[in-house]
Amino acid sequence: MRRIAIYGKGGIGKSTTSANVSAVLAEKGLKVMQIGCDPKADSTRMLTRGEEIATVLNVMRKDDDIELEDIVHVGENGVLCVECGGPRPGMGCAGRGIIAAFEKLEELDAMKVYSPDVIVYDVLGDVVCGGFAMPIRNGYAKDVFIVTSGEMMALYAANNIAEAVSNFSSSGYARLGGLIQNSRNVEDEDSIIDRAAKEIGTDVVCRIPRDPAVQRCEQMSMTVISGEPDSPQAGAYRLLANSLLERSEDVKGGMRLGKSPAVRGGCCDE
Amino acid sequence: MKDRIIHPRPNPIIAAMYTLRDMDVDVVVVHGPAGCSFMASRMLEEAGIRVVTSGMRDNDLIFGGAESLIETLKLVKEKFDPKTVAVVGTCASMIIGEDMAAEIQQANIGCNVFPVDSHGCMGDNTRGAIRALEAGRDAGILTPEETDRQISLMKAATGIEKKVGMAAQGYLSPTKGPTKLNVCRQIMDALAADKKVAVVMIAKKELAYRFADIFLAVDEARNKLGGKTFFVANMDGEKGLPRIRRYCSDIQRDLDSRNVKIDRIIGGLDEYAIIGEDVKKAVDDFEPDLTVIVGICHSYPELSPDNILITDQPRQLANYLRQGLTAVGEISSHSIVMGAKNIISLETSDILRELLEER
Repeated sequence: MRRIAIYGKGGIGKSTTSANVSAVLAEKGLKVMQIGCDPKADSTRMLTRGEEIATVLNVMRKDDDIELEDIVHVGENGVLCVECGGPRPGMGCAGRGIIAAFEKLEELDAMKVYSPDVIVYDVLGDVVCGGFAMPIRNGYAKDVFIVTSGEMMALYAANNIAEAVSNFSSSGYARLGGLIQNSRNVEDEDSIIDRAAKEIGTDVVCRIPRDPAVQRCEQMSMTVISGEPDSPQAGAYRLLANSLLERSEDVKGGMRLGKSPAVRGGCCDE
Repeated sequence: MKDRIIHPRPNPIIAAMYTLRDMDVDVVVVHGPAGCSFMASRMLEEAGIRVVTSGMRDNDLIFGGAESLIETLKLVKEKFDPKTVAVVGTCASMIIGEDMAAEIQQANIGCNVFPVDSHGCMGDNTRGAIRALEAGRDAGILTPEETDRQISLMKAATGIEKKVGMAAQGYLSPTKGPTKLNVCRQIMDALAADKKVAVVMIAKKELAYRFADIFLAVDEARNKLGGKTFFVANMDGEKGLPRIRRYCSDIQRDLDSRNVKIDRIIGGLDEYAIIGEDVKKAVDDFEPDLTVIVGICHSYPELSPDNILITDQPRQLANYLRQGLTAVGEISSHSIVMGAKNIISLETSDILRELLEER
């Protein structure tokens, strides 16, 4: 099983990238589970034709005794869609929510039941607290990729995320797999991002061009893979998905790689 | 690293709760997990105020605890019909940034309800007490003058703990200490030899109900054995919040009924941290052969191994003993005095009484 986490600044195109990658991998015949880790719960929207699926936390809130079918929804090409969900803005603790949602998936043995070939974690913005670092710690994700453009704030966020990954990498789990360039047509974008990658100590996995096909498909609540499967943009996502497969490690085991005894903690951990 | 104090010690949430009790709040709502502060809650209930919990669960952490708090407040109204209610913050509710004031407003239960923004990670426990005092002032149940007075007393108490009390030591394991037999014999021997014995009570609030028993026993001993005594106590009934003034009048009534007179009253029951110098001066004027100090003994300046110290805290006792002082512990006194209305017997006093009967 490959455990891939996609991080990046808010609004940079993580969900679009994740959903298209998941669609490509599913198209190749792999069983993919995409887990959205954002209270907005819109990571998998393009895989469910815009249908809002019940979030793990909302289901848990209503009922202690829940089943996997309540929280795992089958989307496009059989991609298994999960949204952690979370509180309304300004309330509660979204980070604690991510932790609780992951614990519930583990408790319900989701990996054994579905045995996916690839898990794609699509994680909110920056690493703001212990909860949002969950995918890169405690053995959930193995390979972390950061979506960025050549804009300064996106690169700044990329740098922070890379730092968090390297802080946690000593516990032996996640490692940085590289940057995914989601082009915004900033002047000299390729070389800016190459430079940033070098500074971080990584490289660019793939450059996704800016293409109106993405907007067109999003408006139909579809991935580019299903909306315009023969477009050059679909080709770009296929290339990306292949690179991510090549660069990620296939490791047997459950949702978590081993159990780490004492690496929990953080602003909102238990 | 060397300054890190690792023994468990009082926390700001509980300090806030005790302070609210002193302010005669009817109900304290602990906005947190069901088990948070429950030992203290049970003890406070003994003292006649109601303590309830909003019983936060994981869902409250994630989505916010508004619903739980509002439902709890409505139940409080229904069950107790209180005049004043304080909602006390805990680690859980404050880490997630609960807006308790807004939730109180939303619950709208039609009595004086106010939030206390306290949690366990504030540092000194007295900071929780100070937050409670400020909240009480803002809710109109304390005057600004009394609030300022209380706050400066809290700061003095913290200062003394850091200088010479438990907060001054890296780790203290609790101790039961020696039995009281030797100190009782010392007191009796001094009186029997017609010597002068000073007995000083520097009590922290409700603990006076127990420590005051030392006066009754020593008075009895002097009547039987002779010698001279000089009694000093911080029982000024004109000082502090109404509740602790009541403690003074309860205790005074019991002393009066036994014809025991306190020679000098210095300070109120909340002034234990600031009266040491004055008390010592009064005692020095008496020129005693033996001085017995009960309560917050380390508030008394320049303690010597010749003094007899009686404390209620097992860790404080360890602190005294390791300094080579002569001390005994009246362990568990706090749970015994909660809700008291009369003087409660002190072990040291009981042993003294038994020995007197033997003579």
